[in-house]
Amino acid sequence: MKQDFMFTSESVTEGHPDKLCDRISDAIVDRFLQQDPYARVITECAVSTAIVFIAARFEPNTNVDFTNIARQVIEQVGYDQPAFNAKTCSILTSLKELPCDHLYHFDDQLTDADIEQIPVKNQVTVFGFACKQTPALMPLPIWLAHKLAKQLSTVNHKNILPYLAPDGKTQVGVEYRDRKPYRIHSITIVASQDTTQPDLAQLQDDIRQTVIDAVFADEDIRPDAATRIFINPEGLFITGGPYVHAGLTGRKNAIDTYGEYSKHSGAALSGKDPIRIDRIGAYMARYAAKNIVAANLADECEVQLSYSIGLARPVSIQVETFGTGKISDTELTTLLEQHFDFRLAAIVRNFKLRYLPALTPGGFYTKLAAYGHVGRMDIHLPWEATDKVNALV
Amino acid sequence: MIQAIHNVVPGRARYRVEKLYRCKELKEHLEFHLSQQLGIISTSANILTGNILVLFELNLSTDRVKELVAEIEQNYSPKIAVNHQKLNSNLQQKSDDWYALDIDTVLAELQTSDTGLTQVVAHKNLQKYGTNTLPETATRSELRILLEQFQSLPVGLLCIAAGLSVATGGLADAAVIMGVVGINAAIGYITESQSEKIIHSLKSRDRPLTSVLRDRQIVEINTAEIVPGDILVLKAGNYVAADARLIATENLSIDESALTGESLPVSKSTASLIAADISLGDRINMAYKGTLVLGGQGLGVVVATGKFTEIGKIQAMISQTPVQTTPLARQLDEVGSQLVMLASGVCTLVFAAGWLRGYGLLQMLKTSISLAVAAVPEGLPTIATTILALGIQDMRKHKVLVRSLNAVEALGAVQKICLDKTGTITKNQMSVVEIHTDTKLSLVDGDLNIIADACTLKLIQVAVLCNESVVTRDCHGEYVVTGSATENALVYMAIAAGIDVLALREQYPLVDTKPRAENRNYMRMLRRGSLDALSSVSTQHQHQQHFAVKGSPGEVLDLCHWRLNDGARVPLTAAERLAIALENDRMAGKALRVLGVAYGYESTELVWLGLIGMADPVRHGVKNLIGQFHQAGIDTVMITGDQTPTAYAIGKELQLSRNDQIQILDAQDLVNVDREALQALCDKVDIFARISPVNKLQIVQALQAVGKVVAMTGDGINDAPALKSANVGVAMGTGTDAAREVADIILEDNNLATMIVAVSQGRTIYNNIRKAVHFLLATNLSEIIVMAIATAGGFGQPLNALQLLWLNLVTDIFPALALALEPAEPDVLQTPPRSPDESIIKASDFQRILFESTILSGSTLAAYAYGVTRYGIGLRASTIAFMSLTLGQLLHALSCRTERSIIENIPANQYLNLALAGSMTLQFVVLAPGLRDLLKLAPLDGWDLIVIAGSALFPLVVNESTKQFHGTQL
Repeated sequence: MKQDFMFTSESVTEGHPDKLCDRISDAIVDRFLQQDPYARVITECAVSTAIVFIAARFEPNTNVDFTNIARQVIEQVGYDQPAFNAKTCSILTSLKELPCDHLYHFDDQLTDADIEQIPVKNQVTVFGFACKQTPALMPLPIWLAHKLAKQLSTVNHKNILPYLAPDGKTQVGVEYRDRKPYRIHSITIVASQDTTQPDLAQLQDDIRQTVIDAVFADEDIRPDAATRIFINPEGLFITGGPYVHAGLTGRKNAIDTYGEYSKHSGAALSGKDPIRIDRIGAYMARYAAKNIVAANLADECEVQLSYSIGLARPVSIQVETFGTGKISDTELTTLLEQHFDFRLAAIVRNFKLRYLPALTPGGFYTKLAAYGHVGRMDIHLPWEATDKVNALV
Repeated sequence: MIQAIHNVVPGRARYRVEKLYRCKELKEHLEFHLSQQLGIISTSANILTGNILVLFELNLSTDRVKELVAEIEQNYSPKIAVNHQKLNSNLQQKSDDWYALDIDTVLAELQTSDTGLTQVVAHKNLQKYGTNTLPETATRSELRILLEQFQSLPVGLLCIAAGLSVATGGLADAAVIMGVVGINAAIGYITESQSEKIIHSLKSRDRPLTSVLRDRQIVEINTAEIVPGDILVLKAGNYVAADARLIATENLSIDESALTGESLPVSKSTASLIAADISLGDRINMAYKGTLVLGGQGLGVVVATGKFTEIGKIQAMISQTPVQTTPLARQLDEVGSQLVMLASGVCTLVFAAGWLRGYGLLQMLKTSISLAVAAVPEGLPTIATTILALGIQDMRKHKVLVRSLNAVEALGAVQKICLDKTGTITKNQMSVVEIHTDTKLSLVDGDLNIIADACTLKLIQVAVLCNESVVTRDCHGEYVVTGSATENALVYMAIAAGIDVLALREQYPLVDTKPRAENRNYMRMLRRGSLDALSSVSTQHQHQQHFAVKGSPGEVLDLCHWRLNDGARVPLTAAERLAIALENDRMAGKALRVLGVAYGYESTELVWLGLIGMADPVRHGVKNLIGQFHQAGIDTVMITGDQTPTAYAIGKELQLSRNDQIQILDAQDLVNVDREALQALCDKVDIFARISPVNKLQIVQALQAVGKVVAMTGDGINDAPALKSANVGVAMGTGTDAAREVADIILEDNNLATMIVAVSQGRTIYNNIRKAVHFLLATNLSEIIVMAIATAGGFGQPLNALQLLWLNLVTDIFPALALALEPAEPDVLQTPPRSPDESIIKASDFQRILFESTILSGSTLAAYAYGVTRYGIGLRASTIAFMSLTLGQLLHALSCRTERSIIENIPANQYLNLALAGSMTLQFVVLAPGLRDLLKLAPLDGWDLIVIAGSALFPLVVNESTKQFHGTQL
């Protein structure tokens, strides 16, 4: 196993077209669940120039204003330029109703036998990961990339740099020694600007001060003299957003998870209601991995869950600790099987996935759409809880 | 005094009008005003006899028509009448750069004022400058139609043939030829003058009245009588009647596409323009004749009328207005001229072959000429036009008013129909059914019994205060509410809640109105006075003015910072906003139109009052109708201003989409959408939501750009450009004048179900034209083949010149016309529309026609061979051939009725039965002794008749059994 290496991860702001699509999709999921906790919906979204496409399949007992939600999201994200804005963009919705499946309208009073009777409806292999590189138990490169992206977005929203536009992306390269983060190798930030066309040198200066310096102020590892910092290396990025490049739901799976530091499933996370195991399975796997690391059973842990259509339990649970485990991977697997319920209905019930949108002001899934579905310290996520540590130890 | 002279024939009456004799003014008065009446098809007054002939629709009684004539005659006052005859020599109107002058100069130059001309001056000006009419394409006079019957190539040839006969001493021959020419001309004259009348009646409908200021009063006058100096009153939805310099405008916008080709409406103002040589489109202080007022209102002083207007100049330049021809007629013309080439080639061959075989030169010349006459299908375009015109008349019986020939053709090819939601799909009868205030939901039952708490009451008040409906009381003290259906519903709700609407509005006088606009989906009214009582905790001081706001819930909610809690103003929290949004979704999901209502003292910090949900019931039978359109292969598209969930709920209810997926495009601004993207999108979309009427034009154009034949319904003024642009613009009988004037068809009973009838008619007419053409081509071709083969093979002449003429010009005409009146095939609405690029006679049709005519001629030649073997070449054999071919052709008409087997159950065509019976009778009548000498026929015996019957029936059997009908071929 390699010990010394360099690894990069990237993140994008919520204004990036792919993320904008994720956010619209998740805002729709939120709205459905706010109206009816048992609502079923799958939404996909694409955006290009000034046209937003929404394709949704849902059970017919609820009706939401898809276009209005999309417009609200576009406005929240901050698109207000004539080229693309919430008011004048065109939205094509393609709606299809699903047959009602009452099996999935289960409530919280499920017996164990009931849970066993509710099979998953999708096949997927999902991964969860945790490591001791950061307090959030996330790999450092994606952690930093998210932090930079979020800060970039905050600077835009707070109008600290008035010329910034919502679209942007960040990348952080971290040098590892002995499988531990050693130094920051490189930082790249591409920020979009509105049509006022600021001076490039000024922009680079501003971003450095307001974004990079602010982000690393409370980090242990900071850029050193040799760290290569690129800010808009290809020059200004005027307007950015959907007007310049198209976006699609579920295209940023690595950014949603661990920044490619560990494996991740190919299935999109956003735009799916909690009955989709390819979404919530990923959360469950993270929950398991994080608890193992938090319980000091390993420094790094990757949990793999494989589900097959028609079965309630995963057909395979695998743990990989990359040689950092205090006990063997097989024993860890047994521990997981003992203490975690990986069945669909159990996950939905235990995480309260259907009620969170109504309980969380501003929506629950909407907030997941950017800056990662896992390893978040800024919002309370049930799968980030380390409440199984005692049981595991 | 009106006296009925003749009113036995339904739909046609002649009256004697005493004063009409030698009074040209009354004639024009009567004709003009009668043509404005619904149900009158055409009128023609005769000043020499003092009679007036009125053609009218059958639903009008003759008594009613008589009343109408009497009424109009009474209204006639000789003083106003103008001697139009003198006006032909009118003065050259001054042409000037009127846009560069200021208003006062213009008024002075024209010796008028902003209060209008006096009647006297107007009268003088009319004498001086002439009428405000454009040089029209003269309608063909009856005489001309008759003369034109003799001006065709076949008639010329026939005259040569007659001349030859005279030269060779065959006077009787010549007489028969000319007789045939006469019969043919008579048939042509009758059908053509009939269709000419129908086509003319299409035109006479758009001669509206125009409002002008005269003697300080607004009067409606005949558009033709507008003179320079008149003050035009421009209102939305009207065509501008003459070129005018604007002297007052209020949000005036005009569609000048008729003149400039620019489809975007132009905003007008009154300011003088300084620069010289400003292009027509930029002269924003002018209004031009023929353009359409889309919005706002204004006054303009007329600076040019008639042929001196810009559009008149353009017409003069082109020197003629295009004659109404249809693509169909053009196609047939092409086919016709190709066949002329073919026929003349064959005729030359027959002539050469006959001459070489040693037949007499003159005889061969006559036969070839006759063959040419028989073979040249010169009447194809005429037949098409006649059928289209007859179709128009037929559609009138079904309450479908067709306004152009092209529309009939396009109707049959419609692939997509865009339907307005309001008024077309729904009844446009809004009523409030739900009110949601503060978290409380009130269901409004049938009696509008509202248990009004303070907040609900305030909401109802604001809904009345932010409302453009005009409310008055009639003499019985009942409220009279006029305005849009939505706004009226709100007023009725308030009345039902026991609010004195008039007093309420008086209490808070209106200061300013900010209407809904393209990028603002709410209406705001600023009114004097405070809506909160002095004692109210929420107000520290009495406000002078308040805003009353209602509109799209989302947008209104965005303007709100507060809500009412037991009368007190408290901040609106995010959770409450979400609750309101959820409630909006829920109401919209029930297909309600939802409005948000708020009031306040600062325009962006309003107090949220609640949501009002209104229902507009879907018209009875629309769902069924949508299904019928789908079955006929026509895509349905709904256009609505509603928000997406409301639109979705209705779309779902109506099963608007042909698959289980409904595509909704929500766009307020289609202008900025990339053209290609819009085209790609529009083709897929089932519902256009939150669309303003202005965007309809873009939708039509995008759909047409991807090759669709589009029908569009519309009622409003804003719909006019889209209706005009659509292949078939459909207006309702109650629509605005603007919509009715530009529409291709008008559904007089306001019933969309009539549209499916129209489509069925359109398709049937197209199919019938094909059937008639098919029949004519097949029979003509069979004659050519018989003559060519017999002559070339040296078997004598099966048909002589006269027989050919008889066959072609007498016996074939009636079945062809009868085929044009075929009833609709039973599956006409079960097949997809034809492709617009498909030519009327496809290559496969030509093959089929060739096959059928080969069988026909083969059978005839066989009968002829029997005759030749039995009697030798001569009269008797040729009589057998003549009878075989004629009867074979007549029976072939049966086969041409449909592309499926005629044994199948297809509706009977009485006209065809009559035509066949008549033609066959004629055919046997000429066999009678005495008459048969004219056509040079010989008497026949029983065997001959059996052979003839066999050879006539044989092609029918063969052609029927070889039909290959596939459902899609129609």
